[in-house]
Amino acid sequence: MSENKLGNFEETLLLLVGILEKEAYAFRIAEEYEVQTEKATSIGSVHSTLNRLSKKGFLTSEMGEPTAERGGRRKRIYKITAEGQRALEQSRDLKLSLWNQFPGFAGNQFNWSL
Amino acid sequence: MKDVQPPKWAQKLLLGFLKEELAEEVLGDLDEKFYAVLSSHSTRKAKLNYWFQVFNYFRPFALKHYRSDPIPFSMLKQNFLISYRILLKNKVFSTVNIGGLAIGMTVVFLIGLWIHDEFSFNTRHEHYDRIVQVMRKDFVEGDIRVNSSLVGQAGIYLADNFPHLFDKVAMTFFRSRSQLLTVDRHSYDQDGYFFQPDGPELLSLNMLAGTREGLKDISSILISESLAKKFFGHESPMGQSIQLNSATELTVRGVFEDLPLNSTFGNATFFASMEIIYNEQNPYTWDNYNMKIYALLKPAVKLADASEAIKEVLIANRESSNRRVELFLHPMKDWHLRSEFENGIPVPGQRFQFVKLYGIIGFFVLLLACINFINLNTARYQNRAKEIGVRKTLGSQRSYLIAQFLAESMLYAFGAFCISILAVHLALPWFNGMSDKAIQFPWYQPWFWFATLAFTLFTALLAGLYPALFLSGFSPIKALNGKINQGKGNVRFRQGLVVFQFTISIILIIGTITIHQLIQNAKDRPVGYEQDRLITVRGLSQDYFEKYDLLREELKKTGVVTEMAEANYPLINTLGNNGGFSLPGASQTFDISFNTIYVTPEYGQTTQWELTAGRDFSRELGDESGSIILSESAVQQMGLDNPIGQQIQSRSSFNGRDQFTIVGVVKDMIKGSPFESAMPLMVFPTKESLRFLFIRIQPEVVFAEALPKIQEAFEGVLPDNPFHYQFVDEEYNTKFRSEERIGSIATLFSFLAILISCLGLFGLSAYMAEKRSKEIGIRKVLGASVMNVWLLLSRDFSLLVVIASLIAVPIAAYFLNGWLQSYEYRIPVFWWIYLIGGVASFVVTILTVSYHALKVSLANPVESLRME
Repeated sequence: MSENKLGNFEETLLLLVGILEKEAYAFRIAEEYEVQTEKATSIGSVHSTLNRLSKKGFLTSEMGEPTAERGGRRKRIYKITAEGQRALEQSRDLKLSLWNQFPGFAGNQFNWSL
Repeated sequence: MKDVQPPKWAQKLLLGFLKEELAEEVLGDLDEKFYAVLSSHSTRKAKLNYWFQVFNYFRPFALKHYRSDPIPFSMLKQNFLISYRILLKNKVFSTVNIGGLAIGMTVVFLIGLWIHDEFSFNTRHEHYDRIVQVMRKDFVEGDIRVNSSLVGQAGIYLADNFPHLFDKVAMTFFRSRSQLLTVDRHSYDQDGYFFQPDGPELLSLNMLAGTREGLKDISSILISESLAKKFFGHESPMGQSIQLNSATELTVRGVFEDLPLNSTFGNATFFASMEIIYNEQNPYTWDNYNMKIYALLKPAVKLADASEAIKEVLIANRESSNRRVELFLHPMKDWHLRSEFENGIPVPGQRFQFVKLYGIIGFFVLLLACINFINLNTARYQNRAKEIGVRKTLGSQRSYLIAQFLAESMLYAFGAFCISILAVHLALPWFNGMSDKAIQFPWYQPWFWFATLAFTLFTALLAGLYPALFLSGFSPIKALNGKINQGKGNVRFRQGLVVFQFTISIILIIGTITIHQLIQNAKDRPVGYEQDRLITVRGLSQDYFEKYDLLREELKKTGVVTEMAEANYPLINTLGNNGGFSLPGASQTFDISFNTIYVTPEYGQTTQWELTAGRDFSRELGDESGSIILSESAVQQMGLDNPIGQQIQSRSSFNGRDQFTIVGVVKDMIKGSPFESAMPLMVFPTKESLRFLFIRIQPEVVFAEALPKIQEAFEGVLPDNPFHYQFVDEEYNTKFRSEERIGSIATLFSFLAILISCLGLFGLSAYMAEKRSKEIGIRKVLGASVMNVWLLLSRDFSLLVVIASLIAVPIAAYFLNGWLQSYEYRIPVFWWIYLIGGVASFVVTILTVSYHALKVSLANPVESLRME
């Protein structure tokens, strides 16, 4: 697998990191993933993927403020890098172009604002 | 919500493998998740989820010492793959191996659960480590007797004078018996305790409604959850009233969670105030030993110090007596397993002996299973020799080979583990019934899985290490040449193991037969009265004590009752003990403790005791308060040659007198343990009503016809007294329960031991037969008969069993003799039991071995000689 390709799960997580902004840490992302996709996951698998995305250079992270419900522990907040942004756009563009060539949905019937 | 914590073990596990730099964020995330789940689900669900999350961190990126070095892993995979293929290739061998191990492990797990249950006795009480019972030591003629009955004033005194030692002191009656509770004419006979107000707090009852303070009001009662359901269903029991013994109204002031069966108070369905039935003016005295005293030590107080401090309390306060007596404390942790005393020091009791015995048996059964594994693997060496030779020539190191063999045994052990978990799960209800326990399968207890998996690993090592070391040691050249000689040492070793297996099995068989013999013998023992067709009912209601004559008349009118009588104690215990009797004019009293009971004059005709001299009591003779009847052993122990008419003097008064005339002698009645000699019995007649009613049913009447008639008559006279009858013979048979329990568990274990040994032998004989198939082919070609060949193959194994018998007999004799000594009414160790043990295992061996022996000897020699 080439270094800057995005898997399906990776892409979803990357988007969620973008959506959650300041709240983008493993537990919240995992929760949000379950809410949005209605699929079960575990914090560990989310964390592992976030870790991989960081290694690829799509994400950076830093430790946030400690909060009480975590027993006074800090959380790691993730942020999308320019490279990550680019990878997301590339992936979207590819799909868009594919959708546009798809006869069943040619034209403007499909609502892209989703 | 915040007082529920994420499971500690899971956290420990996580921190054990997680990279340190990740710990903070991960623990934080998991905590948040935990509380998020907790807010919408149960605690258990949250905890389970926490475990799930922890296991999901088992990922390379998060592991502490993760090396991405693929070689060991792929080799490990290879090891298991090969093991799996070998397992499939040798189906018989694998079945024997895994089956044997699985049986062994099932037994060990069951025994383990049982032992755990024994050791967790009472541990559910919050103050388990601080609760103590006050006991006393009597110094009698150089002997120290320990007793738990105490005078009521002692409890008051301890509470008043030692507040620096005890947080709480609570007394209950020394003798507790079931009580009749009634709600809306629904009556149940319930076990419960009458305590001083601090009792529930001391025992830290888990209140579901109300408080532990409930007993401060003397007319209140705390009932168990299950009793609340029984009485009130879904209604709230709080504030409802319950009638005690059809006389006293009590108000429900609390509901507590049922105590677990494995606790001293596990039978309690209610707690009520002691004062409600202790209505005397001054209930607590210094001379009536009718209380049990429990106390809660202060946290920092040491048991020994407190024991020492209260030692002299009785001496200081009791009226003059020259007998030395001391108080001491018996901690809750010793109540169950160390509740017998020798010279005033708690020693491991009979229960503890069982724990030890079962532990040993479990260990041996597992050992037998492991021996199978070792034997079969080493016996198979020839099949594996070539594989090992090839591996070694291709550069395999010995350590890799050892890893391969251990992987094999892991795989077997794990297979056996899965089977045994299933087997334990299925067998548990039945095992509970047999051992009188309520053990739950601990599915959700991490310790159980840690313990069993660690144990499986240990078994795998135990069973696999010898074959691994032995097989991996082959020299490759010899192995490939087929020149590996079955070294004499190894054959001897294997034979030694077989002898060991059968020695254990034979000892178990002999032990089992002996136990059954002992029980049967005690059951056949004459009991001194007629148990058949005799039922007993407890008198509970108030009016019971006023209607003796009416009841007797009505019962006889039914035509199915021969006679009825009453006594102050049941037929099946020896309660009511008194000494202090003497012959008139004698300076000394007999040093005999008699079982003294009061009976109504019809007792003899009802129980049909056997008079050997003199006469029975009679209602027609007028005042009989000076007559007594003795049992034969009483007469004998007093040394009376002509007992009838003999006067007996008593220190304390019975029937308002202290001098009696013996009017009759009866055969000994076995009221206590049927394994002990009968206690000397002394019977006093009375015309008063007594608590235990006995009814003799006419011969030749069917019970189904008689019992409803009796019930009708009974309830006609005593509408408030429940007609809960018991057959005396059934009651009596409960005396054998603990022995029968050992009996049935021993039977099971010896059966399994034999089964495991035979499985091993079966596998072993299969390999022997296979190995010698060519030899046998040649023998047959040269004219050997099937019989010859069969003898040839069976002989070796039979010899081993004979040796095992010779070893087993003296060992069994030694241990069984020791064990039988603890029973007064016992059997001699019969020689035929040993013979049966030996012969049975011999026959089983022959049968097991013959399968393969016959198969080989019946085979066409051409088949075996044609190979290669």
